[in-house]
Amino acid sequence: MRNLNSLPLLAIAVIASTASADTYNLPIREHVFDNGLTLLVIERPGEHRVVSKIFTDMGALNEKPGEYGAAHFLEHLMFKGTPTLGSLDWEREKEIHAQIRAAEDALIEELNRARNDLRERGVFHDYQHRETTPRIEELEALIDSLNRQAQELAEEGPMKTWYMAYGGTRTTATTEQEYMKFDLDLPADRVELFLRVEADRMQNSVFRNFDAERMVLVEQRLGDLNRAETEFREAMNSLVGRASMVYVPEGYMNDFEQYTRRYERELYETYFVPNNTTLIFIGGVTLENMIPKVEKYFGHMQRAPEPARYQGREPLPSAEKRLTWRSDTLGPRVEVRYQIPGVGHPDRPLFDVLAEAFEKQLQSVATESGIDGRVDINTRVVHTSRFGVPASINIELVLQDAAQAGNAEKVLLDELRRLAEATLSADAVALARKILRTDWYRTAADPNALAFEIGHFQVMDSWRTLEPYLEARDAATPEDLRRLAATYFIAKNRSVGVVVPEEES
Amino acid sequence: MIGRCVGLALLLVAPVQAQVLTHPQEMGLPQSDYVRPDPSDYELALENGLIAYVAEAAHVPLVTMSAFVRAGRVSDNKQGAAESLAHALVNAAPSGMSAAEFRSALERMTAQYTVELHDEWAEVSLNVPIEDLGEALPMFARLLRQPLVTEANIVGAARQATPAASDLGGESGAALYEGSMNAAVGHFYAILYRDHAYGRKPTAQEFDDLTVLDVAAFHARHFVPGNMTLAVAGDIDVDDVNRSLAEYFGDWPSVAVPPPRPMPDVEERRATLHHFPSNKLQSWLVIGHALPKIPADEQAAFDVMDYILGAYHLNTRFMRETRYKYGWTNDASSFPDPRWYGPGAYTFRSYSRPEVIENIYRNMMREIIRLRREPVSDRELFVAKGALADGLFQVRYLDGYALTRSFALERLQYGNHDRSATYVERIRAVTKDDVLDAARKYLRPDEAQVVLLGEAAFDIE
Repeated sequence: MRNLNSLPLLAIAVIASTASADTYNLPIREHVFDNGLTLLVIERPGEHRVVSKIFTDMGALNEKPGEYGAAHFLEHLMFKGTPTLGSLDWEREKEIHAQIRAAEDALIEELNRARNDLRERGVFHDYQHRETTPRIEELEALIDSLNRQAQELAEEGPMKTWYMAYGGTRTTATTEQEYMKFDLDLPADRVELFLRVEADRMQNSVFRNFDAERMVLVEQRLGDLNRAETEFREAMNSLVGRASMVYVPEGYMNDFEQYTRRYERELYETYFVPNNTTLIFIGGVTLENMIPKVEKYFGHMQRAPEPARYQGREPLPSAEKRLTWRSDTLGPRVEVRYQIPGVGHPDRPLFDVLAEAFEKQLQSVATESGIDGRVDINTRVVHTSRFGVPASINIELVLQDAAQAGNAEKVLLDELRRLAEATLSADAVALARKILRTDWYRTAADPNALAFEIGHFQVMDSWRTLEPYLEARDAATPEDLRRLAATYFIAKNRSVGVVVPEEES
Repeated sequence: MIGRCVGLALLLVAPVQAQVLTHPQEMGLPQSDYVRPDPSDYELALENGLIAYVAEAAHVPLVTMSAFVRAGRVSDNKQGAAESLAHALVNAAPSGMSAAEFRSALERMTAQYTVELHDEWAEVSLNVPIEDLGEALPMFARLLRQPLVTEANIVGAARQATPAASDLGGESGAALYEGSMNAAVGHFYAILYRDHAYGRKPTAQEFDDLTVLDVAAFHARHFVPGNMTLAVAGDIDVDDVNRSLAEYFGDWPSVAVPPPRPMPDVEERRATLHHFPSNKLQSWLVIGHALPKIPADEQAAFDVMDYILGAYHLNTRFMRETRYKYGWTNDASSFPDPRWYGPGAYTFRSYSRPEVIENIYRNMMREIIRLRREPVSDRELFVAKGALADGLFQVRYLDGYALTRSFALERLQYGNHDRSATYVERIRAVTKDDVLDAARKYLRPDEAQVVLLGEAAFDIE
């Protein structure tokens, strides 16, 4: 066996390198059209395919109480086609949709008129039980019948069908608190197909099969509720926030039956306008050849009044809050949350470094203290980990033994106090920065993930914030992190959740 | 005021650009000119029989090195040896390092390191920043060539083979596990491969009887140059990496490659419902049967058939007949799971609120039967062929990471690249009759084993 170290052909890096000036070189090119539509392109000459995304600056933050999840539902409805995509006989189908809308208007009128008969009185509400009136039942039956007639005149999945037929993959969509996006990856020389379909989807969506699709959301919610952690996390979210919509899930069970075509149409017409939309392409296209193509399909759209923006303001934190969650299915744990700033605030990127560095330190201290548990620090609320509005950092110790909960909480709070008083080691912070840098490279290696990050920053603040955000993480110092802890990890800003077994109640 | 009036007048006379709503089929979209990359452009063949595929992927300063080895759970008669070796690869270290030093090196490099053990093959993969390649590549080579195996790895593998209920905590834990799709699929595979090597798990006694020498012998027999392929891609200089691969792997002695272990067919069974009571908010359904080995000249027709029925995407027959028309479920899909040297599995899965799970079963079975009886439509054929030839196939060779992986796996399984060389051509040639033949051969409703994890059983007749 020869000595492997004798003639290394590749130089061994002795120490972790620091980020250089071009570490995050993102060659994004931008063009803003007269109607406000933004086009962002990363050109990769010679690549055969192109990742394509369309982001709309709207999401669950824009919903009104009682219709939580309506934005996500709108995304589902926007897959149902348009008059020119999916209809077998639009003239006849159009007439039936008009009848459905009229029947729904009458239904809304009746629901409002009978509000004192329908209003929820009980505390322990079963979402499958609902009050009704003969008129409501009559109108619902009429809508059901009209839906069936309309279904005969339409075909399913018209947008996906043509995307797939021409080599499109990843025909997905996502709606979160601050955005809705539609995705496609297709051969670059067929990129016009994306523009043709998305412009049509943006202006002419027909909300077909409304009531059947509503039940798909129920299924997705049931899937969430089957996870032992879901209700605990939602309770923690609502403990942290008092006013901000960022803490509201994508619909409680009793929201799903409330959605109306009228409200979905209102969201659609308000937010799906060119000056609220960003197109992103990464791959074998150029900005110059995309501009006339985008103009061809989106140029007719008129700039609209700026849609209402959600400000995300919370009352000032005023007291520590506490939740005791009793469960035999969810493992015992202690979780401490603090509100933190949104993307666009200079402190936000530093929290990524703090989470990475502190997770290792807390794990080590917990083990030394005899606590058999796993540390997880994240910034997730509902499904998302970054927001343009304030959200939270969640520091969690998942325990093997519920009897250690008291000690675990003490250790956790002690370490948080220490974090505000003494700096983390320079090595720990340097390693955290390198972990984040490598994670970013793994993200950016996938053009789909990179396009998502660009679009996400665009709706949270601006795509221009992305590169400085990454650079700020690389510049974080131990003193920066100590300052964060001293500023944000204060008792008034703290929410504590403890999960213990049922028998302890 | 005058200005406003003029502006209004201009607005009224300005021509309004009409929205372009040409149907996709009439847009004149170009025919595909895609040509699959040539594997010989990326291939490095060492004299000892080791084949590597190396490609540049320069968008970010990372590098991934992967080894694919024809050695899995069923490759050897010595039960538990593969699992113990996999445990060592994950938890121990390459020769010359302690486990702690190995962990520390991975952490310092911010490496992503994974080991996957399948029935017939394994994958070891390491992703690091390019600045760490000089340290990572020789370590990766030592790991493959001389992993340290100790008694602790056998004990660890035995524990993993029979996890205690308490190990299943958290989101993927016992509460969810007992009512999840994973559990339903697990039940299905246990039924399909009952009394078959693919379904056999090493016993506690077999782990007790296993020695470190047995695991070392497994490694020496199967982890040999001619029985593995490598894939390396990233922000690299290909020539430099090729020289390094020759340096670190070239002196690995060439030894005889163990022949693949052929597997018998599974026992034929009549359609049966297997009900596992569960009181969760949803019920989970797995319909499935054995999938015979698919010859190369039938693969394209099978893929088209499967695409139309339930694979990969959200507009299949299954999805239309369960989700879109009725809102019964979020997902109903098909999952072909072919094996390299024996009978695979073909499953059709869905889940829903308990009151509609029987409806889902009936509609999925109806579509399976209909596909065996009636030709697919012209549009279904057009869409599936376009999606497979111009979409999914291209994605397999999207960048250096994807193409080196695809070539390395294809070479290990088939010994050449003939299948991928002709795949697009074969997809384009598929006819409705081919799809019908594939459906009749590979969809077997009479043999369906139906696993229901849910509140109440139903009659499947």
